[in-house]
Amino acid sequence: MERQAVTDWPAAESREEDSLVSAARDGDRVAFGRLYDRYARMVHGILLARVPPREVDDLVQEVFLLALRRLHGLRDVSCFGAWLGTITRNRANDYFRKAIPNEKVTEPVDENHAESRAANSAAEQEAAMVLSVVRGLPDAYREPLILRLVEGMTGPEIAARTGLTHGSVRVNLYRGMQLLREKLAGTARGASWA
Amino acid sequence: MKDDYLWDGSGEPDPEVQKLETVLGRYRHNPPAPAFDQVAEIRNVKQRRNFLNWDWEYQLGAVAAVCVLAVTVFFVMRQRSTRNLGPSWDVARLEGAPRVGWHSLGEKSGPGKLSVGQTLVTDSASRASITLDETGRVEVDPGSRLRLVTNGPGRKRLSLERGTIHAVIWAPPGQFVVDTPSAIAVDLGCVYTLHVDDSGAGLLRTTMGWVGFKLNGHESFIPAGAICQTRPKIGPGTPYFESASESFRNALSRFDFEPHTPAERNALLGILLVDARKDDALTLWHLLSRVSDADRPGVYDRLASLAPPPAGVTRDGILCLDRQMLDNWWSSFGYGEIWLWRTYESDWSQPSRNTK
Repeated sequence: MERQAVTDWPAAESREEDSLVSAARDGDRVAFGRLYDRYARMVHGILLARVPPREVDDLVQEVFLLALRRLHGLRDVSCFGAWLGTITRNRANDYFRKAIPNEKVTEPVDENHAESRAANSAAEQEAAMVLSVVRGLPDAYREPLILRLVEGMTGPEIAARTGLTHGSVRVNLYRGMQLLREKLAGTARGASWA
Repeated sequence: MKDDYLWDGSGEPDPEVQKLETVLGRYRHNPPAPAFDQVAEIRNVKQRRNFLNWDWEYQLGAVAAVCVLAVTVFFVMRQRSTRNLGPSWDVARLEGAPRVGWHSLGEKSGPGKLSVGQTLVTDSASRASITLDETGRVEVDPGSRLRLVTNGPGRKRLSLERGTIHAVIWAPPGQFVVDTPSAIAVDLGCVYTLHVDDSGAGLLRTTMGWVGFKLNGHESFIPAGAICQTRPKIGPGTPYFESASESFRNALSRFDFEPHTPAERNALLGILLVDARKDDALTLWHLLSRVSDADRPGVYDRLASLAPPPAGVTRDGILCLDRQMLDNWWSSFGYGEIWLWRTYESDWSQPSRNTK
């Protein structure tokens, strides 16, 4: 039986965050800036799991501007993270609908290989290759893995920010890591990763 | 433990995870926050300037085009159903020849699509799966009828008229809902199996995360390892863990769904309270709001002995069914955050109009 460790994320932080969302919803741009500080990594990670890295920074800005415009419609301030995550995923989907033919909407991996080829230094190439492998994993795994390994968020933080349960995040992190190890081991036979 | 390091960076560092962090760290987000006042203002001004700088002929043309478009959209939308059509679900044949509408998916035919209003039907020898990238994957067992009711952004609703589905959902909690003839199942971040028999009775078994079940004012929360039955016109019963004793399960089924005299009811409640183990706090918590005022103190006392209420939750408050206190007690069990349910259930409370 899976038990969720719901107490890992400080309640005080949640309350403070609700206040920030309320203030931002009422037009306080400073509060919105502080929400950006807290959620930019989540938005960046969700986008990085889906769109080419060179596009991500611009899209992060777009997502927050979109959120700023739509924030007045958010009924429950405690759902800000899940709501922002949905906006981000929709924006990533829109990017592919506009940027590439329909049949490639769910195949961003080819672009990753292009990124990999374009990388100059060995370290850049290695990073691009590993990112490419992570992005080739199923949706459920690549998002938490990128939030953990790229953005440096902890599991409880990922759960708190995205609105997912601890159990879901934990299982997806472990299974995703297991799959990533297998993929990297396979890649290592023909590349530098070991 | 190495797993702890992956989870929250504590414990013995895992060298492979550390190496991945180092290698991938170059992609980490680091630009400073933009000045949102200025960015929003610049964009607004840019947009205004762009339009205002056009020649008046172009402005007039643009306005006329917008009007024509608006009128066209209005008439087109009036002709169409009011349903919110989203992307179709991909249907894959797993065995036999499942059907979507009149279209049969055979061995040689490629994958199909399930659009709003369409029904996926599997006979006794066929199985299928439906997948939507942004939401999850649902496997449909033989002898099932599954209809796509709505598919808008952030709102995916299926109707399981009969049969069995196995759902693995990775969409955020509250976005994926399955109607059955006797309850509405709201995903709260999980993996679960849902079965509906020909009479409309249902059974939900959660494997991971938790699911909310609701109908006719009855709410049931089913965490991983637990089961909940439903009956037409009654709604969801009381959830219980599969590991509960047979006598406990039998008594609960009779308590929830069979007619009985007050004496029989007392006897059944007595069995439930005596046989309850620590894990059965799940069941007793649900019973608090399902028993009479006279029976509630007994349920409270037994539950408090198995899972003491957290600070701020009082006996008097629970006996008056104070919702905040009930919610706080639930949250102390660690099965899932109840605010997720309170946030989303109001959106899904009513069965869809198309549901039988």
